[in-house]
Amino acid sequence: MKQHKSFSFIILFFCSSFCCTSATSQTSLSLNDLSAFQAPPTNWQVAGDATADMKEHDLLKTSAGKGILVNLPNKKVAAGDLYSNLQHGDIDIELEYMMAKGSNSGIYLQGRYEVQLLDSWGVLNPKPGDNGGIYDRWDEGRGKSNEGYEGYAPRQNASRAPGLWQRLSISFQAPRFDASGRKIENARMISVQLNGVTIHENIELSGPTRGAMKNDEVPMGPLRIQGDHGAVAFRNVVYKNYDKTAPILTDLNYKIYKGKFEKEPDFLKLTPAAQGSTFIINTDVNKIDNEFIIRYTGTLTVKEAGEYNFRLNASGGVGMLKINNQVVVPETGWGSGKTNLPEGKLPFELSYSKFVSWDKPALGLTLAGPGIREYSLSDATTSTHEIPDPILVAANTNTSLRSFMDIPGSERITHAVNVGSPQQLHYTYDLDRGMLIQAWRGNFLDATPMWHDRGDGSSRPAGTIIYFGAPNFFIQNLSTAQMPWVTDTAGSSFRTKGYAMDEKDRPAFMYFIAGIEVTDATTVLENGEGLRREINLKNAGANSYARLAEGKNIELVSDGFYLVDDKSYYLRIDDTGSAAPFIRDINGRKELLVPVQSKLIYSVLF
Amino acid sequence: MKPLINYIFSKTVLQVVAISLFSFATFAQESPKEEDYFKIIKMIAPEGIVLEVGGLTVLPNGDLGVATRRGDVYIIENPTGQRPYFRKYASGLHEVLGLVYKDGALYCAQRGELTKLVDKNKDGKADFYQTIFSWPISGHYHEYSFGPKLAPDGSFFVSGNVAFGNEEWWRGESRVPWRGWMMHIYEDGTMEPWATGLRSPCGLGMIDGELFYADNQGDWMGSGGIVHVKKGSFAGHPAGLRWTGMPNSPLKLTTEQLYEVVGPRQNKNAEGRYIKPENVVDEKFVTLFEAKQKIPELQLPSVWLPHGVLGISNSEILKIPDGIFGPFAGQLLVGDQGQSKISRVFMEEINGEYQGAAWEFRSGFQSGVLRMAWAKDGSLFVGETNRGWGSAGEANQGLQRLTWNNRTPFEMRAIRSMPDGFEIEFTQPVDKNTAADLAAYSVESFTYKYHPVYGSPTVNNKKHRIKGVKVSDDGMRARIIVDDLRRYYIHNITLEGVTSKAGSYSLVHPTGYYTLNNIAEGKKLVMTEVSTKNSGKTKPNASTKASASTGTPDDPANKKKATSAKSITYAALKPLLVKYTCAACHNADKRQVGPAFKEIAKRNYSTEKMIKLIYNPQPQNWPGYATEMPPMPQVPKEDAKKIALWIQSLK
Repeated sequence: MKQHKSFSFIILFFCSSFCCTSATSQTSLSLNDLSAFQAPPTNWQVAGDATADMKEHDLLKTSAGKGILVNLPNKKVAAGDLYSNLQHGDIDIELEYMMAKGSNSGIYLQGRYEVQLLDSWGVLNPKPGDNGGIYDRWDEGRGKSNEGYEGYAPRQNASRAPGLWQRLSISFQAPRFDASGRKIENARMISVQLNGVTIHENIELSGPTRGAMKNDEVPMGPLRIQGDHGAVAFRNVVYKNYDKTAPILTDLNYKIYKGKFEKEPDFLKLTPAAQGSTFIINTDVNKIDNEFIIRYTGTLTVKEAGEYNFRLNASGGVGMLKINNQVVVPETGWGSGKTNLPEGKLPFELSYSKFVSWDKPALGLTLAGPGIREYSLSDATTSTHEIPDPILVAANTNTSLRSFMDIPGSERITHAVNVGSPQQLHYTYDLDRGMLIQAWRGNFLDATPMWHDRGDGSSRPAGTIIYFGAPNFFIQNLSTAQMPWVTDTAGSSFRTKGYAMDEKDRPAFMYFIAGIEVTDATTVLENGEGLRREINLKNAGANSYARLAEGKNIELVSDGFYLVDDKSYYLRIDDTGSAAPFIRDINGRKELLVPVQSKLIYSVLF
Repeated sequence: MKPLINYIFSKTVLQVVAISLFSFATFAQESPKEEDYFKIIKMIAPEGIVLEVGGLTVLPNGDLGVATRRGDVYIIENPTGQRPYFRKYASGLHEVLGLVYKDGALYCAQRGELTKLVDKNKDGKADFYQTIFSWPISGHYHEYSFGPKLAPDGSFFVSGNVAFGNEEWWRGESRVPWRGWMMHIYEDGTMEPWATGLRSPCGLGMIDGELFYADNQGDWMGSGGIVHVKKGSFAGHPAGLRWTGMPNSPLKLTTEQLYEVVGPRQNKNAEGRYIKPENVVDEKFVTLFEAKQKIPELQLPSVWLPHGVLGISNSEILKIPDGIFGPFAGQLLVGDQGQSKISRVFMEEINGEYQGAAWEFRSGFQSGVLRMAWAKDGSLFVGETNRGWGSAGEANQGLQRLTWNNRTPFEMRAIRSMPDGFEIEFTQPVDKNTAADLAAYSVESFTYKYHPVYGSPTVNNKKHRIKGVKVSDDGMRARIIVDDLRRYYIHNITLEGVTSKAGSYSLVHPTGYYTLNNIAEGKKLVMTEVSTKNSGKTKPNASTKASASTGTPDDPANKKKATSAKSITYAALKPLLVKYTCAACHNADKRQVGPAFKEIAKRNYSTEKMIKLIYNPQPQNWPGYATEMPPMPQVPKEDAKKIALWIQSLK
């Protein structure tokens, strides 16, 4: 096989606004008190921490403090919803939340369009009413049991267990109205991500969902959090409010000149080969194959003075942007520029010189401003970037697939086995260290990076992931219980022996480390709550330990039951023989260790 | 059932007859071609199975084991029947590029380990994925691992590709131990580093208990070829030398020692960025055999497979067993991924080293030929893939079968070194009249540069005078006296004029390439016993003149050609495209390994620019293509101009 040429491909690719640089600053919703909300009902409180109970419904235990918004409805007071002082139209909002067992809440954009929050832990086929769903609209006139319509189920269930922090990111576009107040464009969920998984993209909302504060539609409305259906906690609520009017580009004319221009020419000395007017920046106006320059001129009408950020892509050449006769983006193939623009009608000039023969012509220009979401001034359908058909691997039966695996903050795992189940609980095992690297729920794997074209040998989890820390051995011999976990692999005499499949095609991994023979089998818990790991050992010594968990913090919830790494998963010790697990502090991080003899069973719930 | 089978059978036969009639009808005056003897047959497979074949092995019961780049292993029952049955034996493996059967289990190399697949509960599906030996790997995409090949003692050989640099994306590098090496692995999991200097060692072959491998053209690799991999040998790519200081390394040669002989050309430009080494036309260069004078560990290819002619990315090496493929039993077949074909090799041992000749054998497979295995019925399973690299066969994948119809093609069976030339053995008696004519033979020799540049032009090209020929009484052999034989060089031996006694056919493949690592000793021919008849004395001279011409612009002949560019036809140009191996990678209309000529035409290069690009290609202009074009300064300017004008005319 031959060699790959890692040329830098010039890719013209327009991100949707939520992922891009924005000139709008992110605002935090203060949760030190309830002052951000209109007349907060008494079921809403501010706390320092919240913990759910895995057995008892609708229960959150709180501790005093600030920063966490908690809804604790009870029978004594009428539970009510929370409305923000903030009025919003287009908005990007990110927040973390925690469901009590069996609880139900929701985030209503503009008080009207609900993204459902629910304890949907373990649901295999989520519906619009499940966690992350866009709730049904409601019309009694449609007849009995046919009232609900136009709800959108999440693409997959990316939910976590009650009591774990979940992360929701919503990019919302408000409905548009003409001067007479008539709606001319529906509201839209540009993107909704739950726990790192895109569960909705570009969904049009024909009107308010069921239970909206009002059934009308408006340019601006409050953020509303449902509080009458159960206990729920929130933290780290941040948003970008896009409430300002975007500049408009008008009077757009172009002139095309033939020739190779790597620097801006003196246009006055050139004779255009073609010219005309256009509505949008689009290289289709050009008929010359290669070696040409297009110069667009027009008027940018700015309503909101402030700092604007422009991004320019000039495929196979260079582009340059001038506004108000000032260079904003200097000559570049792919670059950006920031500038302060005053209110008013400003001269706009964009040049695009194309001279790289092998590249296709394409030109992209986006802008973002104060309170203005990034949008494209060019024809966004023009792109030289070809996205391959994704190659997705489902785990309709127990399925194992080896690949390279990349995890944040670590070198590539090169001897990884990904193990998937139809219960939608999957994990990655590192054959070089005998470690569970990550576990995830939802879809199994995206093998496109491995199987498209030459591929790079890696695949990616296609669901919501929890990580178990930097790759390291799971079993080690320590001279004392406080000796740090060794990160150096030399001298460990680690040796993998491979894996045996059981009758249900589930692997049991086998390896030797420091003379200890280890069998390591992870299976899905029968109730689908997580993964159960059973380790059997031969020749373990008195100083042999397993490191069960590592993280920012490890909280003991009840005997043998832990919350790990800022409540990202639960760990339950099922069987250690007679050994007692202990939490230790290593360089400001916590580790959960247990001495091992012949058997260790624990479960990870998430 | 029976009538149905008969129906299918007779339908198949009719189709074959129809095809044969068609080909004979069209080329009634021509000699038979390779497809008239060796048929490519499609293998029936269930819809939806992705057969990007990485490994093939035939089990003792005749079942076919197939490993795929997507990590599945199938065992195909009844593989030569009308309805082969696919049983998925294993899955979830990491880019498997080899498969063997040993003692009831299958063994395969994944990217990072040698794995034994055992079916303990006998349900037809592996349930124990045993790691025999796990090797380090950095996670670079190019770190493929090939094999295993089974040694006579039951041990295994696995080879590992190099990675490439980040900034120096053209330079093969060994990031972790034993990349760029051949590993010798035992069942008990011990590994003995065996040899290094490998770059992209996709093709392994165990020939009579001796290990051979085939590499691909690339940096430090002028052309593909097959190399006898002895313990401690160095095959030429420097990356793996990084680990020769390890205690278990079988050779001590260091990178520095090699760079003293041939520099790495790691130069930086004014901006501090590394410059990609390019071919320099008028430079003092070193050949591999010259380097060997100073580096005895260097193992020269036993048989070079000239790049662009006998492949561009050689793969599996397989011996033809006794009783198979008629006159070619005992010889070797070598697959090629990029050209979707198979070459044939005859080897002999001179002064203790292997050397020999190579010919084209069969082209036209649907995808890139990566793996081959012998079916019990004497046909050849051919496993194919081209994903990521492209190939002459346009399909992305394939599992096909090559069968012989028991008719003997008129071919050179063997070429043997003689003290004064070569002896050519035929598969059928020759027409003695044509075979005794010196004009029927031509011999040219050349070699390649050994340098850090991607590929090499052919260099030191020389035409040899044929001084005499002696045809054996039975017409099965012709021994030629060749003037000024050059040891180590590749000798292109072309027999355009020799015809067969029966049918007066031309050779199916008239050119063989003999790698003359050693000149055989023995008795030379006496001029009185040879024919010196030469019917076409002017012919070779004319072509010599043509290739020596520089094509100056004021040459009226050139001007005339230039003005009549539009009139150059593909038919007229095709011989040049074949001769200079352009056609190995480019098609007029379709993308193959390289872009279609039509696509090149769209770039609007000037004639001068196009000629420059032939001499010093700029692969960075073609980012969608995996394989670099090597520099082709050996193309005479006049011919380069013809090719350029023709490409321009395609617009």
